[in-house]
Formats: sequence, C-alpha cells, structure tokens
Amino acid sequence: MRTAVEPWLEEPLLRFIDDARVRLALLLESSGRVLAQHGFARSIDVMSACALAAAIHASAAEIGRQLDGNPFTTLHHPGQARQIFLGELPTARGTHILLTVFDDATSIGLVRLYFTELSRRLAAAAPAPLAITTAPSLVDFESDLNRNLAKLFGRI
Amino acid sequence: MNRTPYAELLSMLSRHRGVVGSFVVSERDGLAVDSNVQIGVHAEAVAALAASLHRKARLACGAAGCGTVTFLRLDAEKGGICAAGRDDLVLVTISEARANIGLLRVEMMRAAKALT
Repeated sequence: MRTAVEPWLEEPLLRFIDDARVRLALLLESSGRVLAQHGFARSIDVMSACALAAAIHASAAEIGRQLDGNPFTTLHHPGQARQIFLGELPTARGTHILLTVFDDATSIGLVRLYFTELSRRLAAAAPAPLAITTAPSLVDFESDLNRNLAKLFGRI
Repeated sequence: MNRTPYAELLSMLSRHRGVVGSFVVSERDGLAVDSNVQIGVHAEAVAALAASLHRKARLACGAAGCGTVTFLRLDAEKGGICAAGRDDLVLVTISEARANIGLLRVEMMRAAKALT
C-alpha cells in the first residue's frame, strides 16, 4: 500500500511519522483531495477524514481572520485517549493540510516540533508549481479524489 | 509578561555556573510551562524531547521495579541535560561541561519537591 500519491511527499511524511510516533496521518489539499495517508485501513475513512479536516481548517482559518486579522493555521484537540493535530503546510504546489492522530506514545510538543520540520522538508522538496490551463471542475475533483484513493489503497 | 510561580526557581537555577537554560515542562504534553534560556537554545525542541526522555525513563524504571525516577542526567560531549520531576511537571536544565553537576543535582531535587 502506497503512502503518497506523489513521490516527493513520501519521504518527508514517513520521516514525520517515524519521528513523531503518530498513529494516523493524512496529507490533503485545502480542497479536501487526499495526497497521502498512513495508518488508515479503509478508503471511506480517508474520504470522511479529508472532508472533515478541510472543513475544520477552513472554519478555523476564518475564525482567526475575524478575531485576529490573520487565519489560524494550526489546531490541537486533546481527547481522553487520543489527540488530533491539524496544521497548514505551504508549498510551491499549494497549501496542504496535515491531520494527525496520536496517543500517549508521543506528545503535542513532539508533534509540533516534527511538524515544523515536516513543513521545512516539504517546502524544500516540492517541485515547481504546475501550470493551470483550465479552471478545475467538480467532475475533475471527484475523479481525482477517486483516483488518488485507488492509488493509496493499491487498487491501481 | 505574566510571571509564573516558577520564574524565581528557574532564575535561581540559571544563575548556576555553566547552566544555559532551565525549564518547567509538562511531561504529558511536552510543552514548556515556563523557561529561562540563553539566546541560541531551542527551548521548544528541548522541552518536548526532554519531557519524552523523562517519560521513557519513568516507564523504564517502573518496568524494572526501581520505583520513581528521582533524577535523570544525560551527559554529552559539550555538556548535558538534567531532569527532576514530580507528577506531570519536570524541571529540566541544560548545562555546559563546566557546570557543577553535583550542586545542580541537589538544587534540582530540592526544587522538584516543590513543584505543583
């Protein structure tokens, strides 16, 4: 099972997962399209998590703009047994979002530390932005989403 | 800036010869509650990693039947890190090789008992 849809994402993300010792990790575009995943067993879970993460990120950013003038870029929710961290990762290929789930094997301090390193590595590894020739359509988005899920779960 | 209850304690530890930084860290979160560090010390990184080290030491001592960790010392080429914890709070110092570790240990263990 592949970790990332595009090769340049794989090594920085695997390094983050190993260093931070997180249970689940999801890398997605701000539109909700999945780019990489680790720890998920089913594609339906990835789809749900991507949709929720993109919505949470968009909402949090807007709250930040209204409160502070600047969008909030990271979010942390501690639960009973597990915690989530959501963070924005700017690259030359656009703004990506990391959603990660972790437990007592690590800490939010370590996750934030290695998230900063991940951000640096992705920014350095990102290839030049692709030239956009036409406006994206909903049909393209859905087919891209399904194709990415198929790649990540070994169906193509 | 609001002073925490640990500001005076950290200031006292940082006055020791060779100590370049001192922190009170939450072991569970790996976040610094308060810190007193010199320029060039990566406070957030040290706090997170030192908390993780202390946690692993605590678990290892528990598994080995040694009881609770009272003092943790990590020696390196150019200095070291010391840690003494109580409940979820850990007192951490970073020192150069010229620091008097014996004196620092006594002070840290005394100070750790007062952590709440």
